Amino acid sequence: MTAKRVLSVLSGAIVLAATLTGCGSDSGSTSGGETLNVLIGANTIYPEQQRKWFADISARFQRESGATVEFETFASPNDELTKIQTSVLSGQGPDIYAIGTTFTPTVYATGAFLELTPDDWTKLGGRDRFLPATLGISGPDRDHEVGVPFTTRPFVMAYNRELLTAAGIDKPAESWDGLREQAKRLSTGGRYGMAIGYADSFDPWKFIWAMSLQAGNPLVGDGKARLDEPVVRTAYQTYLGWLATDKVVDPAAVGWKNAQAIAAFGAGRAAFLPMVSATSKVTLDASAVAGKYGYAVMPTIPPGATARPGGGQDATSILSGDNLVVAKYTRQRDLALALVKLLTSPEQQRDYYQTFGELPTDASAAAALQADPALAAMVDSSARSVATPFSGAWSQVQLALVNVVVQSVPGLSAGRVDDARLGTLLTEAQSSAQAALDKAK
Amino acid sequence: MPGAVPPYRRVQRHRPLWMLAPGAVLTILVVVVPLVVALHISLLDLDQYSFRQWVRAPFVGLANYTEAVRASGTVHAIVLSTSYAAIVTVVTLPIGVAAALATQDRFRGRGLVRSIFLVPYVLPAFVVGTVWRIILQPDGVANGLLARLGLDGGLWLNGPRSFWALVVVQIWASWPLLYLLALAGLQAVDPVLHEAAALDGAGWWTKLRYVIFPHLRGPVSLAVIIAFLHNINNFTLPFVLFGVPSPRDVEVLPVLTYVESFQNFRFGLSAAMAVLSLVLIAVPLAAYLRAVRLDVGPDGAAEGSRP
Repeated sequence: MTAKRVLSVLSGAIVLAATLTGCGSDSGSTSGGETLNVLIGANTIYPEQQRKWFADISARFQRESGATVEFETFASPNDELTKIQTSVLSGQGPDIYAIGTTFTPTVYATGAFLELTPDDWTKLGGRDRFLPATLGISGPDRDHEVGVPFTTRPFVMAYNRELLTAAGIDKPAESWDGLREQAKRLSTGGRYGMAIGYADSFDPWKFIWAMSLQAGNPLVGDGKARLDEPVVRTAYQTYLGWLATDKVVDPAAVGWKNAQAIAAFGAGRAAFLPMVSATSKVTLDASAVAGKYGYAVMPTIPPGATARPGGGQDATSILSGDNLVVAKYTRQRDLALALVKLLTSPEQQRDYYQTFGELPTDASAAAALQADPALAAMVDSSARSVATPFSGAWSQVQLALVNVVVQSVPGLSAGRVDDARLGTLLTEAQSSAQAALDKAK
Repeated sequence: MPGAVPPYRRVQRHRPLWMLAPGAVLTILVVVVPLVVALHISLLDLDQYSFRQWVRAPFVGLANYTEAVRASGTVHAIVLSTSYAAIVTVVTLPIGVAAALATQDRFRGRGLVRSIFLVPYVLPAFVVGTVWRIILQPDGVANGLLARLGLDGGLWLNGPRSFWALVVVQIWASWPLLYLLALAGLQAVDPVLHEAAALDGAGWWTKLRYVIFPHLRGPVSLAVIIAFLHNINNFTLPFVLFGVPSPRDVEVLPVLTYVESFQNFRFGLSAAMAVLSLVLIAVPLAAYLRAVRLDVGPDGAAEGSRP
């Protein structure tokens, strides 16, 4: 059915677009009470609160501007993508989209979203009021920004305080090699040093990216892919080696997604849980390790080194979170900007954090949270996050990076990371990433 | 029996053909237009950069097709899809027919058994995939059972064995289709034939082989073709079981097409792949249509094989 479904989604959209543009503008807006449509990810952890939040925002915006806000949710990134594709093509749909940071370059590449002028930024309350790090992926450069930072979800590492204390480790290591040694010491008695979601569709590339960047290779630069360089290979060997050679990860982790890794850590079966965001707090606070765990930033000294080499970046996390983008086709540009301003206002951001646990992007709202010790690691990581390369081809690069892990997994049970095989896979990944970059405009 | 051909009725004049118009319009809108658009897209270099003004996307002729065949995994995926679909169809055939025969005669609890047989079929593919994904985890139920038998389960959701995992799960999920159609065929067999066979002293195998099977040939061969098409087009199951990027051993055509379209944004390339898979599907489809036409043919030769 799918070949057909792909075809019909594509062509249905196109036919729709053709019909709509054919009809022209006579289907214009009904004047009077205007309506803004916002597309945002469905919050599966707090569905009730999200519904209430929608109602609150709507009511508040109605009071302020007289316009109603209608929220629409998407369940998965794929849902969102289909919606964006259809809307972009037909020139109608939601006025505002909340999109993931790493997806922003792809969205920018469609050219269908409003580039914010200095005047627009003024209407939003000024560009300077946002945390500088969160603006890192709003556009290719300062003059072509489409994304307004909405929330930030920096990645950190959870660790089991009890297990660490029992093993005589006072704090998590600051280098990947150090972390491996600690994990080895902690892998005893049916417990493992780390919980890793090797079968996750996104996690693996974040590790590889971070380790490479810390060693000075941002993977993409000046339109050239750099996936087949030694530091990238070392990153993969380290990441895959945790399971294959170091045995610090449960062998079953080859089938784990991120949620399963969190569950294993929550059950007390692993001492470290790298690559999680604040959203893991809800699950962990309801688990067996509640009250016995803490968060720390992940190591920033690349594998094989004891100090970060020159050119290496102090990247604790990818710049992660959500941006708000306004569609070019919107008929209510100023109204849309007013709503974005409301959503990113310090007061709303504080509320949003208290309801959903996602960190603010507004500098003053973030500063107010710095005092909370439970959040120290996250606030720290937020300031030290680095944006992934701004390229419309990044989605493909990401896919190529994860693919290396997926195709390597079957070989891991042999107890080693096959160097020749890794080399072949990296060459493939390099060429598909480069092909994608060559098409980038 | 050439003498038995009934005379054709002559109603050809004054046929109100215009009454077909709504159907024709729908067919054009739902089938022809999208197909033409898809064919057109497959000739364009359509991606995230040219998407917004797709009409102006550069025309690249057959470049997408050559890329699909040469550079992407399409050929590998076609081989994989076809062999997986063929294996599943061949295995589900005897299972389905046997189940239909077993529930043909009346017995206490037959209704219940028949309902249970349909469970895999009525479960949404997404649920089937999720449940099996849990069962087939490295530390899942399947490996637990194997371990009790002293066997090392190993990895099912990646590596060479993932292909067989896909085959097994799809067999589990799809055999009721064959069962259902075979049962329909069995119900259509005239009870007189059973009696006649009994009177002639035919044993169960003889009866099955020479009386029942010939009547099942029609509906079952249709079921086989439909099942094959279902299998080859199955997207949800491999997608949910293995996720994307897909392990190379289960990178079937629908998943590959999906990845090119919705992960890599190569709409032109994926349209070309979709067209290729349409051609692939057209082969059994042609056989199917031919079978249908033969069945309702005027000579009554295939009587008894009403689907």
